[in-house]
Amino acid sequence: MATALEKPPATAERSAAARPRTGLRRHWHLYAAISPFYLLFLAFGLVPVGFSLYLSLHRWDGLGPMEWAGLTQYRYLLTDIDFWSSIGNTIVIWALATFPMIFLAMVTAVLLNSAVRFKNVYRFAYFLPNVTSVVAVAIIFGSVFSTNFGLVNALLQAVGLDQVAWLNTPWGIKVAIATLMTWQWTGYNAIIFLAGLQTIPGELYEAARIDGAGPVQTFFRITLPLMRPMLLFVLVVSTVTGLQSFSEPQVLLQNTANESTYSGGPGHAGRTMVLYFFQQTFDNNDFGYGAAVAWGIFLVVVIFSIINWRLVQRRGE
Amino acid sequence: MRLSRRGLLRAGLAGTAATALGGLASGCAVPTGSTGRNMVLWYWDGGLGETVVRQARTRFDNAVDLRAVKIGGYYRSKLITTLAGRAHIPDIAGLKGEDMASYLPDADQFVDLRTLGADRLKSGYLPWKWQAGIAEDGRMVGFPIDCGPVAHYYQYAVFRKAGLPYEPADVSAELNTWEKFFTAGEQLKKRLPGTYLLTDITSVFEMSVNQGTERFVDRDRHFIGDGEHVRAAWDRAVEAKRRRIVSNLVSGTPDQWSAVEDGTLPSQLNASWATNDIKNGVPRTKGRWRVAGCPGGPSNIGGSFLSITRACREPERAFEIITWVLGAANQAQGFVDAGLFPSTPASYGMRKLREPDPFFGGQITMDVFGPAARRIPVAYASPYDMALGQPVKDEIKSVGVLGKNPGQAWKDAMSKCRRIAQHLGVSV
Amino acid sequence: MASVKGSRSRGIALHAVLVAGLLLSAFPFYWAVIMSTHTSSEIFSYPPKLLPGAHFLENVRNLFDSIDFFGSMLNSLLVAGSVTVLVLFFDSLAAFVFAKFAFPGKRVLFALLMLIFMVPAQLAAIPQFVTMARIGWIGSMTALIVPAAANAFGIFWMRQYMKGAIHDELLDASRIDGANFLRQYWHVALPVVRPGLAFLGIFTFMGQWNDYAWPLIALTDPDNVTLQVALSQLNGTHGTTDYGMVMTGALLALVPLLIVFAIGARQIIGDLAKGAIR
Repeated sequence: MATALEKPPATAERSAAARPRTGLRRHWHLYAAISPFYLLFLAFGLVPVGFSLYLSLHRWDGLGPMEWAGLTQYRYLLTDIDFWSSIGNTIVIWALATFPMIFLAMVTAVLLNSAVRFKNVYRFAYFLPNVTSVVAVAIIFGSVFSTNFGLVNALLQAVGLDQVAWLNTPWGIKVAIATLMTWQWTGYNAIIFLAGLQTIPGELYEAARIDGAGPVQTFFRITLPLMRPMLLFVLVVSTVTGLQSFSEPQVLLQNTANESTYSGGPGHAGRTMVLYFFQQTFDNNDFGYGAAVAWGIFLVVVIFSIINWRLVQRRGE
Repeated sequence: MRLSRRGLLRAGLAGTAATALGGLASGCAVPTGSTGRNMVLWYWDGGLGETVVRQARTRFDNAVDLRAVKIGGYYRSKLITTLAGRAHIPDIAGLKGEDMASYLPDADQFVDLRTLGADRLKSGYLPWKWQAGIAEDGRMVGFPIDCGPVAHYYQYAVFRKAGLPYEPADVSAELNTWEKFFTAGEQLKKRLPGTYLLTDITSVFEMSVNQGTERFVDRDRHFIGDGEHVRAAWDRAVEAKRRRIVSNLVSGTPDQWSAVEDGTLPSQLNASWATNDIKNGVPRTKGRWRVAGCPGGPSNIGGSFLSITRACREPERAFEIITWVLGAANQAQGFVDAGLFPSTPASYGMRKLREPDPFFGGQITMDVFGPAARRIPVAYASPYDMALGQPVKDEIKSVGVLGKNPGQAWKDAMSKCRRIAQHLGVSV
Repeated sequence: MASVKGSRSRGIALHAVLVAGLLLSAFPFYWAVIMSTHTSSEIFSYPPKLLPGAHFLENVRNLFDSIDFFGSMLNSLLVAGSVTVLVLFFDSLAAFVFAKFAFPGKRVLFALLMLIFMVPAQLAAIPQFVTMARIGWIGSMTALIVPAAANAFGIFWMRQYMKGAIHDELLDASRIDGANFLRQYWHVALPVVRPGLAFLGIFTFMGQWNDYAWPLIALTDPDNVTLQVALSQLNGTHGTTDYGMVMTGALLALVPLLIVFAIGARQIIGDLAKGAIR
């Protein structure tokens, strides 16, 4: 990633790679250094993963005996329109939330990184959405998007637009959920970018200034290229967590005492993949199919992450 | 629909309850249940009266160390985890009413309460409620805690102004069928423009189904959600929409609350426990409300059970505790503590339950809820009801909220049900 | 660069944007604070209360009567604190290797790590419960700490961060000076990745602090639980939950988090006007 720097002739990485024959023994300390994670996975992660694979080949109500089902759960998964529509919902909500979020986070980080006063205050405030009680969040966003008294509709009317029944239309529901997610995670990502901005040496900005570059040029010529690893991180993490989201639609849409928590609102417009997993597992008592759904989710997440990784990662890296 | 900002809150609290899945069986070298003198009881906040639990602890103190544990989060998932994992299982476990049907096929995880002499107490409990704790093969899994009889909550002055019956007895008598209820809705709207009888049509559908003796799947594991009883409930809900007696508001939003407060949503069909929701939600409406019988007959929402798990080492003692805690006198106390509506009719006459309520203009609401609770029909609840009822409820919601064509919605619901039924091994 | 006037008006615009963001971010939090000063029925009444009420102390008292607040907070501190320390060490060490060294199998191992990262978290609980029950850790904090001691998220993060922050010349120079791997990690890598570690530390602590899905299942002794598990015992069924108390509990539980954030965030931007050039 040292593109903007003068590249040293032999990097540490290359010098090590130059001697491929040296093998495992020579690198034992490197393996030892990365081993804790893999050991913990072997000890505590492998059994659950293996078990859920096994489970997905069975029918099970959670308590009674398991019944062998072969691949029928997966066969059903492929033709289950409800699962496919939940994939669609998830991706739409994810896209509606993620791109504005990354943009806003980047802007916030750059603004905060410039010499601004009261930096501590802002930083603190932007952290709050991440820790605010989900109960308060549920009520406030329910209010913000309500039809007659909601803040959003008040704003729309102020600029001469019509009211929208946000929580009563499929698109409105998705937009509302995405807004909630953006609100909650922008500050978090801004902090990531802020940490990344600290790795950019001040001299580079100095040099650019001397060359007469304006702030916008500086951003695109220096900041953005050097922030690429951070951007990759944010995008991949947003993909993995965003595609597995479920609490936001739950919080926003489950509002009647007797209704399933996992329905995702009218027309299932807000039913994400993980909500669908919960519904199959706990409402329908279909633990076997739930496991198959979970593996379906895994596959979607992997595919999407690879696509995003490719998009950001430069060729040959 | 039911007033429920509280529901929204509950969703918030449960929001991040990412839950468990899986389970390995057999051969654990760990204590499956409690040890020593301990008797562990699992319930949830508000699941039992606190006074009663406290008294039970001192009362049985010389025999056992009763440890009543409140479980937070998603209760059922935690219970299933420990049952499936066969470790740290409580001796006595609360079972939520909506989950009951799904525990019954696995009745062998619990002690059959008949073997402990439950039958001799049967006459003291509501028959339909008693029946709901019994598995198909007759084993008794759950001992009745509370129930939730449904009533018609309405605002006295608004009904009076609209020229409708307004005294509870008259409302009960004159709006006793859905047809009369809907006609009243039309009159309400005509006399007081902008006023609607109900928030949306979902409650009409659900109450109607609950008033019947059949649900979505029968004892033979056969799908009956396409039957006349469901179709009738469906048509009735569509009718409510067609006659424009429902609002376009979303329940739980400020829109709905303000409408309730200013009297433009003066009525709702709701369970006994909604009393608390209304008192807290719109305190300024104090004195304006009354309750009457629900049109179309009584029905029930919610209510739970206590069970004894197979891991319990002293089932007789556990049974003694359960029956004491859930006796008529203590159920009356449970109503005072936590609004748990007793499943023991003997409680209804007790003075604690017959206080005139100023929020309801001094009405003794037990006069409505008590008789309703006795007349709730016995319906078979299948473990597949949830899975096969949901598509129908979802589609009626789409009709009500999104304005979907009812014919198409019914067709979609049925094809979805058939697909799910096939997958779950339920015959169509 | 620009005239004094220009830069001042730009400064005002900058603050206007930041203040707008601040209000948006902080309002729900403010409202949560307000809720904690009201009774349950005040919280539910319509229209919502926007000013503080008089019941905060009463809510606090009820809260302390209902749960062992400080005892469970101590457990939370133990869990979140030790996990954070372990994660910071193990993750940054592994990340250093992935970011700056080449060795056979690196690509495969990293791909595996990312795949594990993508496994839905919902798969895990019951078999994990069984495993833990066999080891005998159920009911103890060990069941929460050990499995969380290293994670893919943190390794991925530190790897990305180290790629930009640790310059290869530094490593080359230290090797020429005869520094071994651990010395390079300790003396060269760690000092320059403090902002990255601060981020990881804050959010690991926060994640552990707020986690309750697994603790709820793993901690079977009601007298020995973490704070979130204790708080979750307060929310019940219809009509009985004291939301004023619940909100108060949620709010008081945040205090340590805010302290950790305040300390950690200072590491992210040294206030020594690093980016003072404009």
